[in-house]
Amino acid sequence: MALDKLQERKFLFPILALLVGFPILRHYGGIMMTGAPYTAIDSAFLILLIPLLSFPVIAILGQWYVGEDFWRERFKEGGMIALGAMAITLSLTVWLAIQFFTKGGTCSDGLTLAKDACEAGGAEWIPALFAGFGNWFSFDVIRMQDGGSWALESDAFGIGMWIDNVSLTLLFVAAFLCFLICWFSLGYMNTDPINKDRNHRFYGEFVLFSAGMLGMVLADSFLWLFIFWEIMGLCSYLLIGFYYERPSASYAAKKAFLTTRVGDVFLLIGLLMLYDIYGSLDFAVVFDDPSTGVGGALVSAGAMKSAMLMLFIGAVGKSAQFPLHVWLPDAMEGPTPVSALIHAATMVNAGLYLVARMVPFFDVGHGGVEGIGDIGILIAWIGGITAFMAALIAFVQNDIKKVLAYSTMSQLAYIFTGLGVSLWLFNAGHHHAAAIAFGASMFHLFNHAMAKGMLFMASGSVIHEMHHAHHEAHHADGGDGDDETGHSDEAGDHDDFDAQDMRNMGGLASRLPITSTAMAIGSASIIGLPLIGGFWSKEGIVAETWAATAIYQETWLLVPAFLILLTAGMTGFYMTRMWMMTFAGKPKTEYAANAHEQTPWIPTPLVTLSIISLFGGITLAVLGATEWLGDGVELGHEIHAEGYVGALLGTISHAFLPDDFFIFIVTWTAIAISLVVGPAMAMKIHGGRLAKGETAPKTIAWILPLSTKFGKADVTELAESGLADALHRRLFFDEFYDALIAKTVIPLAAALAWFDKRVIDGAIKGIEWGSIRLSKDLRKLTTGSASDYILFAVVGGISVLILLWGVI
Amino acid sequence: MIPAMYLVGLGAILFCLGLVGVFTNKNGIIVLMCVEIMLNAVNLNFVAGALHYGDVTGWVFAVIAIAIAAAEVAVGLAIFLALFGDRKTIVLDEITTLKH
Repeated sequence: MALDKLQERKFLFPILALLVGFPILRHYGGIMMTGAPYTAIDSAFLILLIPLLSFPVIAILGQWYVGEDFWRERFKEGGMIALGAMAITLSLTVWLAIQFFTKGGTCSDGLTLAKDACEAGGAEWIPALFAGFGNWFSFDVIRMQDGGSWALESDAFGIGMWIDNVSLTLLFVAAFLCFLICWFSLGYMNTDPINKDRNHRFYGEFVLFSAGMLGMVLADSFLWLFIFWEIMGLCSYLLIGFYYERPSASYAAKKAFLTTRVGDVFLLIGLLMLYDIYGSLDFAVVFDDPSTGVGGALVSAGAMKSAMLMLFIGAVGKSAQFPLHVWLPDAMEGPTPVSALIHAATMVNAGLYLVARMVPFFDVGHGGVEGIGDIGILIAWIGGITAFMAALIAFVQNDIKKVLAYSTMSQLAYIFTGLGVSLWLFNAGHHHAAAIAFGASMFHLFNHAMAKGMLFMASGSVIHEMHHAHHEAHHADGGDGDDETGHSDEAGDHDDFDAQDMRNMGGLASRLPITSTAMAIGSASIIGLPLIGGFWSKEGIVAETWAATAIYQETWLLVPAFLILLTAGMTGFYMTRMWMMTFAGKPKTEYAANAHEQTPWIPTPLVTLSIISLFGGITLAVLGATEWLGDGVELGHEIHAEGYVGALLGTISHAFLPDDFFIFIVTWTAIAISLVVGPAMAMKIHGGRLAKGETAPKTIAWILPLSTKFGKADVTELAESGLADALHRRLFFDEFYDALIAKTVIPLAAALAWFDKRVIDGAIKGIEWGSIRLSKDLRKLTTGSASDYILFAVVGGISVLILLWGVI
Repeated sequence: MIPAMYLVGLGAILFCLGLVGVFTNKNGIIVLMCVEIMLNAVNLNFVAGALHYGDVTGWVFAVIAIAIAAAEVAVGLAIFLALFGDRKTIVLDEITTLKH
């Protein structure tokens, strides 16, 4: 074990050196080789290519060397290759980000939004700084012209890169979390006997997924976005079904794939509509004056609305929003690193990214299409409903990962609400408010990804240690435990112990100090504890939604505004409940009493992300991340103007003492219910001190006595009510879809199967049967008797003669 | 002089007799003889044509055909001899190797 820790350190330093050294080497190496400095742009395509190429390497080497000692010990069954690829990707991303901020750019291309800010404010922009880098490959397309003729368009689709503040943020989130979660996987996946000799499959799919995510973020056209979007969908399917021998896992994988497929079909239709309108899917073409389509024709609001709606349905499927949300909780069947990476931190953000990319269409101040604000309201409604519904269902979940899954859904819905409001505001012409709402949403995306990725990893740590304790207990009993074979694990699973069930935990704060602290910080960030992580962005979303309702008088936004305000309190409840059930009170099983934090590779990412969750939010808020993301205002402009202290005080007073009295009330209501009402209720039900003699780490020790201050509430009656039952059954969505599918798709499929079997197969079988009969009949002519053959010859000859008679 | 029509008609009748003989007879030797009849019917046509047009080509062809027919009969009989040596029969209906 100590050796493992040493090994972890051994890799930490080379990777840190790589992070710093690679850009420098590349830069100065370039100067020495060619005389011109290499920029991050020259290497940017490696961000995508390295993970993409690692995929076959890991998969093939894994097949060759599976089971061999050096592969298992040195390479961690491919984990080391994946980690190296992720480290290079991250270093390139960081280098790119640094150049983005430091190097002046041109204002010639890019988002209208960004371009405008660039021209107006002289901000240090490099939007679409890789315009010249545009085409690696290009494809020709045959397209029908007006009037029905076909013509070849050369270079209709090219692959290139598109970097602006939004894609850079997502790029960093994806690269950073891929790296940390890969690190975490080395501890989580490689120490579990059930994964033995098949981890190369995990790491291969992991890097392919990262290539998909990074490619989607970097794509400079909707077409490439869609292609990488589908690669992610595939990897999601493969990784959810990693434990394919479990029927529930393969069912969940199919469910996730098919549900997102519904959205993807709409997305594809939306893209075709966009192509029809603009004659291209490249961002540079589409975003350049979106109000005029191909040939200078004015784009009608109706056509644009339907295209936007289709795109949004695609986003709904990918980001697990109502009504296509049913796949996300089941997706927790995958290994925990997968849940952390794909179903919390990166892939589910793809839908948000797509909606964020819709901004230029809505921004009437910069050539957007007028009169499509309804779509923004629809997005806000879907967001509000999902946020509320998911939080409600999270109340009763006992599986630690399912609580987090519903929490993810709920927080993504917050971002959708913010984006919807922002789109509506853009379309109504309130540019500044819209930009703030947009920036707050994107900022929340960042905060949420960091916190939720960590929460999932922390839950993975809990599950891993619980599982380990359970395993050891069986070993000690002289049971069927045997570390060396996978069978012991299956045997262990046969008794009904569920390492993910929070009812089996309790009192883990003293035994898992790093995990419990990390989880407390992550929960605080998700709840929106003032000054920590998600607070800054969540307040922004809530405030802007209410501002759109009250100040800009859009009554249709009232319902989403109320729902997300209420959800703020509910978030406080379910996150606190989860933490209390897991870490507070006395151990509820012997396994919980024996769990210990002992697996290497797991704590490092937790600590890193704890620090980011704790300080990242406030740092970025002071730097003005919201304005930067929304409006392209230079980062740190307030610091330049007012100094560090002034900027800090300004940010805090802006958050807590908004100028508008109405927003002031909303802000404090949100803080009060999320910080006091929700957590207090959760503590009343689930709080409790640790067992005697146990001490929690100092950072969180104060929470435990506090949790007993509110007394105990007995909620048995409520827990057995119809409402709780409905929530346990996830508000009947699964039953409803099952019934719907049983009524529609299955009869249709049965009818098609009948058609296939009887008509199509029948036709083919008929041809087969007919030709057999015919050849049997024809065979009778083959008598074998020479005189018969002569007869045929003569009859044939006479026939030819008769036929020729007519001709001659 | 006999009109050419009669000679051609006789040739056609002879040819049809030979043809029917080929179809109906089982014995290889008789089939061979029927083939000879057909060949001679054709020779008759050649000669009739030569008489009618006063052209010597027809006679030449008839002579060549007779020579070839003699050779053909020799080959045919040799085949039947070999067949009899192998199968102990020259009844054509029993020689159905082509069917299988």
